[in-house]
Amino acid sequence: MSLLPPLPDEIDIHPGPALLDGIERGPGLAAHRQQYDEPRASSLVELQALVEAVGLRGRGGAAFPFATKLAAAGRGRRALVVVNLAEGETASSKDSALALRRPHLVLDGAVTTARALKAREVHVVLPGDRPVAAERMRAAMAERNDAVRLVEHVTEGRFVSGQARAVVELIERRPNLPVTAWDPEAESGVKRRPTLLSNAETWAHVGLLVLRGAASYRLRGTTSEPGTTLLTVTTPGARPAVHEVAYGSRLRDVLPVSAAGSPGIVGGFHGSWATWPTLANALVSVPGMTSLGAPLAAGVVLLPGSSACSLQVTTDIVEHLAGQSARRCGPCFNGLPALAEAVRGLLEGTGSQQRVEELCGLVARRGACAHPDGTVRLVRSLLLVLTDEVVAHRHGSCTVGVSDLAGAAR
Amino acid sequence: MSRELRVDWPECRARGLCHELLPEIVQLDPWGYPLVTGEVTEDLLADARAAVRACPRLALRIVGS
Repeated sequence: MSLLPPLPDEIDIHPGPALLDGIERGPGLAAHRQQYDEPRASSLVELQALVEAVGLRGRGGAAFPFATKLAAAGRGRRALVVVNLAEGETASSKDSALALRRPHLVLDGAVTTARALKAREVHVVLPGDRPVAAERMRAAMAERNDAVRLVEHVTEGRFVSGQARAVVELIERRPNLPVTAWDPEAESGVKRRPTLLSNAETWAHVGLLVLRGAASYRLRGTTSEPGTTLLTVTTPGARPAVHEVAYGSRLRDVLPVSAAGSPGIVGGFHGSWATWPTLANALVSVPGMTSLGAPLAAGVVLLPGSSACSLQVTTDIVEHLAGQSARRCGPCFNGLPALAEAVRGLLEGTGSQQRVEELCGLVARRGACAHPDGTVRLVRSLLLVLTDEVVAHRHGSCTVGVSDLAGAAR
Repeated sequence: MSRELRVDWPECRARGLCHELLPEIVQLDPWGYPLVTGEVTEDLLADARAAVRACPRLALRIVGS
């Protein structure tokens, strides 16, 4: 599919105000220690206060409060820490960007937390489908001499490999596929131990907090959402661009001029369609963008451009996602191909919207992981936001004037 | 306390016994997989427990919330 970057490791990484400040000095440990001192040891209480002071939320997509996870992992048996660099969402490249340019900030966050939790191991989960980013992180791990052991794992590199439970399975040396989570990982994860599993960006924020303190962190962003966030902006034919922006800034500032006027998908292949006016007026904010119907999730903005039909793009993505099912959960491996066919029916003007909605209802929340839910989110957002496109195709045309696409398929 | 019937999806193989034993709250989807349509109320608890025990894949649990 044209929206998939040919080499996901090839990313345009723009310098930013906090996490991506000073990246021109290179990713090595010496350069990192010139910019930041050695992190001093924190107690669990201090660390808890630090992440609470800035309301740190997980950056993997669910925006779950990190302090809640940390508190859960601090109770009970000896915890372990997991850095997830799998970045299952194909359109996201921010964790790869950190592996390539800021690996030690990520590791400082995870190692300091592991020590506060008295954990003995930090498990680093590398993406099997992004070898350059994986190699850079591996090199960074080899440069360090930490009081905790860094253990490497490599995912199988499919869309669902990065799901939390699939990662727990991988660490326990079982197939890297999602299983049912009866308890949160922070309570019972790897070998039923409390497992503090977060993605690379979350750990980089923890690293920055530990190294620079909460007051410095709060200099950016808004009172209710301090700090910055990473965004991956993807346009067809171009390398994905990773930007670091302060919360409360205008989303439009990181969108290419060429994207103006056309709808885009916020959140990635598991994301939501948003019209151009929504994108152009949006401020970067977790609750703000959720209220616009376009949750930021893992911070992906996909811009297919003015020559792409949103229904064609959706069909392509849903067909791709149907092929990415782990084929373990019945409603997912039966339902997603059926949903893909029904969406193609809308594209070709022969299918019914009712059938699409019915299949969405049969697939959503009926799997071990969020793969079916994410796919349904994308389809439902199309029906809700780009109604005109669906209607146009029902009448054998297309709003972007490439009705030959639909015509050729008939 | 309300109780919910949860399916362990990767384990389920659409054998359908749960629907046979608990048709009040378990329908089957077009592919034969369970569609849980309601809570496990007090009067359904015994049948729900029977369904959990009877599942040949051990893919059902009653979860309190």
